[in-house]
Amino acid sequence: MQVRPPVVRWWQRLSIVWLIPIAALVVSLGVAWQSYAGRGDLVRISFQNGAGLVAGQTVLKYRDVNVGLVETVGFAAGLTEVVAGVRISADVAPFLDAESQFWIVRPEVSVRGVTGLDTVLSGAFIAGQWDSAAGAAQTRFTGMETAPLNAQPGDLGTRVTLQLRDGNQISAGAPVLHKGIEVGSVGNPRLSDDGTLVLIDAYITRPYDRALTTATRFWDASGFDLTLGAGGVTLDVKSLASLIEGGISFDTVDSGGTPVTETTVFDVYDDEATARDSVFSGQSDHVLALSAVFEGSVNGLSAGSDVRFRGLTVGTVTDLGAFVEGEGRDRQVRLLVNFELRTGKLGLGDEATAEDAIALMGEFVSRNGLRARLATASILTGGLMVELVEEPGAAPATIDLAAEPYPRLPVTASAITDVRATSQGVLERINALPVEELMQSAISVLNSVEKLAANPDLQRVPGEAAGLLADTRALVTSEDVAAIPAEVRGITEGLRAVLATLQQGNAVENLVSAIARADTALDGVATASQDFPVITGQIRDLGEKANRLEIEALAAAATRLVDTASALIGTEDAKRLPPALADALAEVAKFLAEVRKGGAIANANSAISAAEAAANAINDAAKSLPALSERLTGLVAQAEGTLSGYGEQSKFNAELIKTLREAQAAADSVSSLARAIQRNPNSLLLGR
Amino acid sequence: MTVSARDAGLVGCVRCGSVHRPDVALCSRCGAALSSRDPNGLQQVWAWWLAGLLVYIPANLYPMLLTRTLTQHSEATIVGGVAELFQHGDAGIALIVFGASIVIPVGKFIAIAFLAVSLEKRHLMNEQAQHRLFAVVEFVGRWSMIDVFVVAILASLVKFDAVATINPGIAAASFALSVAFTMQAAQSFDPRTIWDD
Repeated sequence: MQVRPPVVRWWQRLSIVWLIPIAALVVSLGVAWQSYAGRGDLVRISFQNGAGLVAGQTVLKYRDVNVGLVETVGFAAGLTEVVAGVRISADVAPFLDAESQFWIVRPEVSVRGVTGLDTVLSGAFIAGQWDSAAGAAQTRFTGMETAPLNAQPGDLGTRVTLQLRDGNQISAGAPVLHKGIEVGSVGNPRLSDDGTLVLIDAYITRPYDRALTTATRFWDASGFDLTLGAGGVTLDVKSLASLIEGGISFDTVDSGGTPVTETTVFDVYDDEATARDSVFSGQSDHVLALSAVFEGSVNGLSAGSDVRFRGLTVGTVTDLGAFVEGEGRDRQVRLLVNFELRTGKLGLGDEATAEDAIALMGEFVSRNGLRARLATASILTGGLMVELVEEPGAAPATIDLAAEPYPRLPVTASAITDVRATSQGVLERINALPVEELMQSAISVLNSVEKLAANPDLQRVPGEAAGLLADTRALVTSEDVAAIPAEVRGITEGLRAVLATLQQGNAVENLVSAIARADTALDGVATASQDFPVITGQIRDLGEKANRLEIEALAAAATRLVDTASALIGTEDAKRLPPALADALAEVAKFLAEVRKGGAIANANSAISAAEAAANAINDAAKSLPALSERLTGLVAQAEGTLSGYGEQSKFNAELIKTLREAQAAADSVSSLARAIQRNPNSLLLGR
Repeated sequence: MTVSARDAGLVGCVRCGSVHRPDVALCSRCGAALSSRDPNGLQQVWAWWLAGLLVYIPANLYPMLLTRTLTQHSEATIVGGVAELFQHGDAGIALIVFGASIVIPVGKFIAIAFLAVSLEKRHLMNEQAQHRLFAVVEFVGRWSMIDVFVVAILASLVKFDAVATINPGIAAASFALSVAFTMQAAQSFDPRTIWDD
């Protein structure tokens, strides 16, 4: 029997070391699988320009986080576009739907600032934007050339379209302003489909887009506005950014607008005033074109001038022209002005058509006498406007509907205020003034004044007058004058006592007659400054006579004196006689006492009669010092004359006379000056 | 006439060469395990060889160095790195890297496979040549680690944040493993079997 050796199968001889290569294989495959599976999708983004795209390096960023890498950069079929194959990371890939936007971020320097500077170092990158809602997946995209307006995802806001006639003032990225704050920006301007308007997208961020309704008006706030009009010069400058790159402002000028949608299109007006005005005219305005033929010159009227009706601007002049009318020899050149009226401004409402407007105008023309005429719009610039006026008394006319090219309105006389003619007249009149003679006279007058002012005599007068006034004032305010009333009272008392004593004697009838005379004298009032020297002469004589103690003559003289003195009652010249008053009164008192003592009845009679009369007059004239002083002066003279007969106070008399003489001399000189000036006023200027 | 230890019924120590009787397990001099011929030896060689080859593939496909400078990112595989060095003008270093990272490992794979196959088919090379080849393979193997060493030094030295940063890639670990595996494969090859008939 053969024992077969044990059969060892090959797998039984397998050593355990084979696990190692198996493990290596598994690990390698696992790593390979993981990196392959987690790679993400490849999307193809096409751009017009591949600047900055480097295969294997350029990244795709979303909210500044790398989410992809450009793997290939190639061309589309036909070399029309640059196609970048971008590997997107798997966690972001589901969100790429049809609304995703891609653009290349490169460094950009503009008026608004510098953006994308970090791309200078790290290279341009592709920025992407998509919303967080996963839509239908898409692998082919078209990249945008510039960043979209609301570049940050998550920015909510409203996009509207603006249309302008002229995109000159606005550049991409210009701010949108509302009440002075920047609330959004505009995108790139583009031409409208028919090529007549410029369209711009504007993006207004939340929450400012709340203010947007269909009644919102946009206007151009770029640069600065300088207007020169009847109201003066207005300069309106906005912010510096808007000065350089333009800006558009908006405001909701009316309530009652409907909310806006993405497709709402707004007009951009030239300035704020026009924008606010447009609320009344509405967007869908019909325009009524009319024309008028004016006589005379239309110098000052141009395209764009206003057409006004009762002061309200209802339209503008569109063009001016001329046409030839007539045949053969009668050919004339007529001036034709075409203008258009806005039906909204006339108040016709949105539904009114051109026919309604024409019918209305025709009615006005025939019934109310509506005529067109030229009027001055601005005196400053000489600009004209077309004014529609209603003249009820005008000759009947109708609107000419058949005229070419537009219906023709009848015209009436122009209301042009020609400033030039008026101003010319004024200038001529000014021209005709004898300016040279006037200048000569003025020069000579000035010379005279100068000569007079240099005259030493004239320079002295004010000083002397001042001195006189000072003396007068000193006297009037002196204590002696103030003491007069008391003294007068004392005198009156004394007189009364004396009178009582004399009543026994015959002095009564003398007194009575004297009083009667004083009364008559009181009744007569005469003002004569010229009498004064007479009075002083009389007083002098009286004084001399009294020296000789002739009582009768004295009495007569006293009576005469009383007469003259009473003639001077009430004049103001007596103001010049103050110096003697106080002393005079004292002397009178003394005199009376002496009289009483000496028992000189005869002297006393006449003296007392005069004194009584004077005292009565003093009583009556106690309110007015001039009369008082005058009478007192008479009394003083009398008294002095009498007293000097006693051999006393003869110096006082002389003093009194001297003072009176000096006062008279001053009054004389002043009055002579006054007389001279009165006679010849030129002497003030030309000298004596 | 040459007599092998096996024919004489003895076992020689692989490490120190002292001869023992076949029933002794450990060498009395150096303590190494005594085995006459390992029947699984060839399997081990092939296993390690396969593992090294498998890991060598990703070492070439994945980037070895990740360089990040201020302006750019770049990744370089072994071959790509060599090409870049060459373009830079560093031809010497490029040659060294090329030799150490491509020529030697690939050569080792081929040599070990050849040696393992030639044990079956003896007519491919004579025994002295085989033995010389084996000695070369065993000696040179460790020098493939130069590349890994370079990567490690670069990665640890160049760390300037944003200005320049170098990070090792997957290929570095993979290559190190590949070299280790081939070293082990060479280690498992018993050169005495070359001389067996």
